[in-house]
Amino acid sequence: MSIKPRVQSPRSDTGNLIRDSALGLVPETLPHYLQLTVAIWDKGPLTPAEIELARLRNAGHVGCVMCQAVRYDIAVEDGLSEEVVSSMRAEDGGLTARQQSIVRFVDHYLHNPSKPDPELQTALDEQLSEVEQVHLALLMAYFNGFSRCAVALGGMPDSMPRMEISVPR
Amino acid sequence: MHYWSQPMADINADAGTYARATRSLAEIAQPFAALYRAFWTLESLPAETLELCRLRQAQLLGSDLAWRHEQFGLSAQQREDLKHWPSSPVYSDAEKACLEFTEIHAMDARAITDAQADAVKQHYGDVGLVALVQALGVFDAVTRLGLIWDLETLELNAS
Repeated sequence: MSIKPRVQSPRSDTGNLIRDSALGLVPETLPHYLQLTVAIWDKGPLTPAEIELARLRNAGHVGCVMCQAVRYDIAVEDGLSEEVVSSMRAEDGGLTARQQSIVRFVDHYLHNPSKPDPELQTALDEQLSEVEQVHLALLMAYFNGFSRCAVALGGMPDSMPRMEISVPR
Repeated sequence: MHYWSQPMADINADAGTYARATRSLAEIAQPFAALYRAFWTLESLPAETLELCRLRQAQLLGSDLAWRHEQFGLSAQQREDLKHWPSSPVYSDAEKACLEFTEIHAMDARAITDAQADAVKQHYGDVGLVALVQALGVFDAVTRLGLIWDLETLELNAS
């Protein structure tokens, strides 16, 4: 993984994480990224802590150091604890059945993208409503692409301290 | 109109579509579809090149649906040669740089080398590289959603 940034970010300092990052270089897509980011966090039925659990699970698979170090403040305020994050990473059985179903879907999305088999679908249906499952799929579509983007553009250190950020609005 | 108040004929008409799969969450599905559509009119990267990359991703992910989908018109030869793009004369050096980047991105974004990124930048600059990386993430997502939701078409028209 390259620690050297492969592109120069815009020289803007708007305070908006996306606008000021390399993503801000593409004028045609920037407004859509900004709108989608807010929609993912605000417009779906999953709680911020559940969104964050899925995001962090994805970040671990992708190997995005920055994505793994970040915690969104609204997820922390919503109750996402480091104990839950550790349990998710260690797979030590410390997650609730609902949290486990979220993690199972993330793994399925990443490793075996296909129509869920009856056993997985039943497990999802027992814990998540139809609209919650749509939200989970769409947030994976967003975060997986976003984390791979961060990795592919380089500039990623070997490790980073945990840091809280806000949803860019 | 909410999906539960749609006439049954309308619901059946869009069965197997992105609109149907996401009808309960248009507030997120619509911005995602809008982002996908934005890639096809970029100044920094030709749509033809992006279509080649999208199709190569479809091959690597084993999505027949994404492979059959035609987002941008290519020649029959461009489609036929895609599995053997390194040795095919139908692709330009710029397209080959993007296809090589696409293949590594599909397998593991961490494995992309500076040389592969530089090869894309040589033709399309910093903005083109960012646009390609963004597009690959979104195209990959659309292909995965199509597989997971068992869609019959990849037309991204949110309800």
